[in-house]
Amino acid sequence: MKLADRGSHDVRAALAATGLVLRIPPVRVRVRSPIAGFAARLADLYGEYELHDTRDYADIDIRMLPGARLRRWVRPTVQFVVDGVTPFEPFRLDHAMPMFEWGLNWVFAHRMHQFLLLHSAVVERDGRALLLPAWPGSGKSTLAASLACAGWRYLSDEFGVVAASGMVHPFARPAALKNESIAVIERMRPGGVGPVYPATRKGAVAHFRVPPASLARAADPAPIAAVVFPDFIAGAPLTVQPMTPAVAFLKLAHNAFNYEVVGERGFRAVAGIVRSAPCRIVRYGDLAAAHGAIADIVAGAA
Amino acid sequence: MQPRWRVPASQQLLFEDLDDGIVLFDAQVGGTHLVNPTAAEALEVILESPGLTAAQIHRRVLDRLGLTDQALPLAALDELLHKLAELWLIASDA
Repeated sequence: MKLADRGSHDVRAALAATGLVLRIPPVRVRVRSPIAGFAARLADLYGEYELHDTRDYADIDIRMLPGARLRRWVRPTVQFVVDGVTPFEPFRLDHAMPMFEWGLNWVFAHRMHQFLLLHSAVVERDGRALLLPAWPGSGKSTLAASLACAGWRYLSDEFGVVAASGMVHPFARPAALKNESIAVIERMRPGGVGPVYPATRKGAVAHFRVPPASLARAADPAPIAAVVFPDFIAGAPLTVQPMTPAVAFLKLAHNAFNYEVVGERGFRAVAGIVRSAPCRIVRYGDLAAAHGAIADIVAGAA
Repeated sequence: MQPRWRVPASQQLLFEDLDDGIVLFDAQVGGTHLVNPTAAEALEVILESPGLTAAQIHRRVLDRLGLTDQALPLAALDELLHKLAELWLIASDA
């Protein structure tokens, strides 16, 4: 059963009681919250996700709770609680959904050490996955969302989930688009972007809805065919710069969440990637030009 | 007395030889270094034969890489060993 198959009243009641267990491969996430507005936003973004029985085991247990009692009336806030721990300062109440998304990223990065977690968007076409590793601000989420709009399978905007086999697994969740990117992607896929949250800690934020075709294959890993470090600069002409394996190695390892934690497995996994996949830096000021370059890189890796 | 070099017992060094360099993983701290063939060979020699002096390591590295004293003077190798020690990759008993 999908979340959308439950009525809005039912979803709100379930979240306020024992919670709902969302299947977001490779994890199951239990979510609980008495906040009606959050229930509606969760149903909006995660409506097409499968639900597990609430009695099933969940890898991650999240509660989105109203802030301290005195503040509820003055400036209402929301707290992110994971397994009983509150790791962050509260957010304003109407930013509960961005907080849930960022908090889930944080928990995933701190716990899923059976995988090497690269800080990377991931898309796939014709059975070949493309890693787009980058730090925030380089345009990886926008590029990944735009490629998904152009028919690529969307695996993640934040995590390259690399297994010991060398395959990259999806962690297909809504992509966090910021500021000008929101309108760009909305134009490419009308209705594909959720509500805008103005004035968050990262500016205006809205979430790209995972395309149904990508969600239908949310448990299917793919081999890594190419690595592109995106570098968006407004107005910049397209340039494609090759990277040698050792340089790409250091850049990939530096762009990982848990490289030091997973130790030798991570070291060998990164070596395997840079040996087998071409690595490039693509600087661009225009998404269409970047798409063309990326298609050529991945085709050349076949 | 000449220092004798070894990799600390708690240390584990892993190597991957890529086209344009050798990457070294320091498993003790989870750090990665890009090293040249001379450093990689020196570390391999020390791993295989702990307790050698700089002169002994120098001779073996020259043999392995097919280099002459002029291409890799002992002083350069000695300086390299001290740099590796600063990174806690090796230690001397001196």
